[in-house]
Amino acid sequence: MLSFVSFPQPTDYDYHSTTRHHPDVGDLMDVDDLDTTAPKLTYPGETVTSAHDSMRGHGTYVDKEQVIASVAGSVERVNKLVTVRAVRTRYNPEVGDLVVGRITEVQPRRWKVDANGRQDAILMLSSVNLPGGVQACRFPLSYRRKLESDELQMRTFFEEGDLLVAEVQAFFSDGAMSLHTRSLKYGKLRNGQLVIVPSALIRRLKSHFISLPCGVDLILGLNGYIWVNKHVQDSDHGEEGFDAEAVYSNQNDDIDVATRSAIARVSNIIRLLADHFVPLTDTRLLEAYDWVVEQEVDTKDLIHGDVGDALVAMVGNNS
Amino acid sequence: MTSLSKAEKSYIQSSLLSDPPLRLDGRSLEDYRPIALETGVVPLANGSAKVCIGRPGRGGYVQEAGGVGGGTEVVAGVKLEVAGVGDGEGGGKVACTVSCSPAAYPSLSSNALDDLQSDLTILLESVLSHPSLRPNNLVIVPGKKAWAVKLDAVVFADGGNVVDCLMLACRAALWDTKVPLTKWVEYRAPRRHAAQGDVGMDVDVDEEAGGGFETKGESRATDFELTDYWDEGEVLSGRESWPVCVTLNVLSNIHFLDAKLQEEASVPLRMYVMYAFPRGKPILQTFRLIGPEVSTIDQLRGLIKRAESYARNTWTGLEAKLKDEEARRGVKAREKFYGRLG
Repeated sequence: MLSFVSFPQPTDYDYHSTTRHHPDVGDLMDVDDLDTTAPKLTYPGETVTSAHDSMRGHGTYVDKEQVIASVAGSVERVNKLVTVRAVRTRYNPEVGDLVVGRITEVQPRRWKVDANGRQDAILMLSSVNLPGGVQACRFPLSYRRKLESDELQMRTFFEEGDLLVAEVQAFFSDGAMSLHTRSLKYGKLRNGQLVIVPSALIRRLKSHFISLPCGVDLILGLNGYIWVNKHVQDSDHGEEGFDAEAVYSNQNDDIDVATRSAIARVSNIIRLLADHFVPLTDTRLLEAYDWVVEQEVDTKDLIHGDVGDALVAMVGNNS
Repeated sequence: MTSLSKAEKSYIQSSLLSDPPLRLDGRSLEDYRPIALETGVVPLANGSAKVCIGRPGRGGYVQEAGGVGGGTEVVAGVKLEVAGVGDGEGGGKVACTVSCSPAAYPSLSSNALDDLQSDLTILLESVLSHPSLRPNNLVIVPGKKAWAVKLDAVVFADGGNVVDCLMLACRAALWDTKVPLTKWVEYRAPRRHAAQGDVGMDVDVDEEAGGGFETKGESRATDFELTDYWDEGEVLSGRESWPVCVTLNVLSNIHFLDAKLQEEASVPLRMYVMYAFPRGKPILQTFRLIGPEVSTIDQLRGLIKRAESYARNTWTGLEAKLKDEEARRGVKAREKFYGRLG
């Protein structure tokens, strides 16, 4: 028999039966002073401060001489400027960020990439590694000039739907980000699956390429896209340059069942932590994985409730 | 619908075909994600339900960026409207409409979204509007007026398996529907006062609520009025014969249930099988094949057999949950009532 559950009731069960006031009429609303150092959270429509002694920034609006939050998030204040940084938002790129993206469109000399930003990112043909010309060049990377023939066979490098890992190189004048994959670490992704979490949960780490001891590699894109794949031997090609066949291949390697189930387990742990809005770091993921293995939790039970709370409590206690 | 790279697709397929078969989130082939259901979510509808497959525990956040990996959420509502009955019609039509929120399909253009909506509407209409399933207590004034059932379903988020979710929500909403009680009103030529030259019309109210005692009354009943009744009305008759849907995703010789979007994108063949089990007797209502793959009759026969047992699982679960919901709402309504008194 298939079991159905109920929707969780709001903890504040009297919410609908009590009388509430709109901020406009509630003169009981006290204007909070922002001098306290603790981060303050707002909900949309909450009065943040008076408009007389502050300026409104992003995520706020002014109504009846009061600065009111328009999003749910944390209040930040720089001198007189009050902004609210939304909890759930699109990814705000910065130069040098590592992102994972998906090709949405092939255009003349460029690819459009979905990277969870407000606009599609752009990957220029000139900012990817092109095959060939490696021998002629002393550099480990093939900095060869792009040719007309490359423009005609762009789909042999990346086609629609392909996933790639790249770095934010620059911004265009309209704010769209420009990506590059000119490193051996970057390029097309295979041998695994994608997990999407809110981008706020990915902190800037020393390295976003994480190797877990269970034979699983992770790429934590700062845009919230996480690639979970089978561990690959790094420095495979070393200094000799790169193997275009392997870099732009669509073929997966042979992956054994143990690795596949480890990938599924890691993915579910990530989803679970993201569900509970726990920021993801390498140590936290490792701890969580060890705990799950130690407690012999079945992978599919991770998505079914109770185990999740225990796991999150454990991770919360240790960090 | 979802774009998937070749490597992802082959990873999903080879995992499914490996031994033991493995899915993206570690479920076995016949496992569903957690399903949450609630009836009576739309206060102004005669019956309504909300169903959410996958991560219902986290409040309203079923949607991840791009719709990938989140859950599927559908709200269905039934509104009864008074409609005239034409000559020779039984009365009491069921009309279905499915609308998809653009937020559920951010990658689709508005034309593609319209196509999808009409596809789902046609699928639903062909099942639920079938004359064999028409409830027979929708008639208000025989031959003149009847309740028309307008069933509207909205897809708020699509994380895969949207048809199963739609059917669960529609079935729950129809189950929840209460038909308001009505009385016929008939205009009768005055008999007693006729001699005194009274030319006015007397209004008489038929005491039977849609009853069949007064057979000759049929021709005279012209209008109706709503009775003042403690409850919202009576349930639709034959509500146990609305079907549930099971979607089988077929990949070579295996099949699995409740696919996520990525899994849906990587299987070549899908089967929608809709079963109803009124009084335990299985009735196959609809069977559809979607996808480019070919399959043999023998294979289909086996799959339909399996689908029946899956559907029975879903059916018993849903039936139990709907009874729970009715009990829960009964308790809630009583508390509210006593709360008002006290």
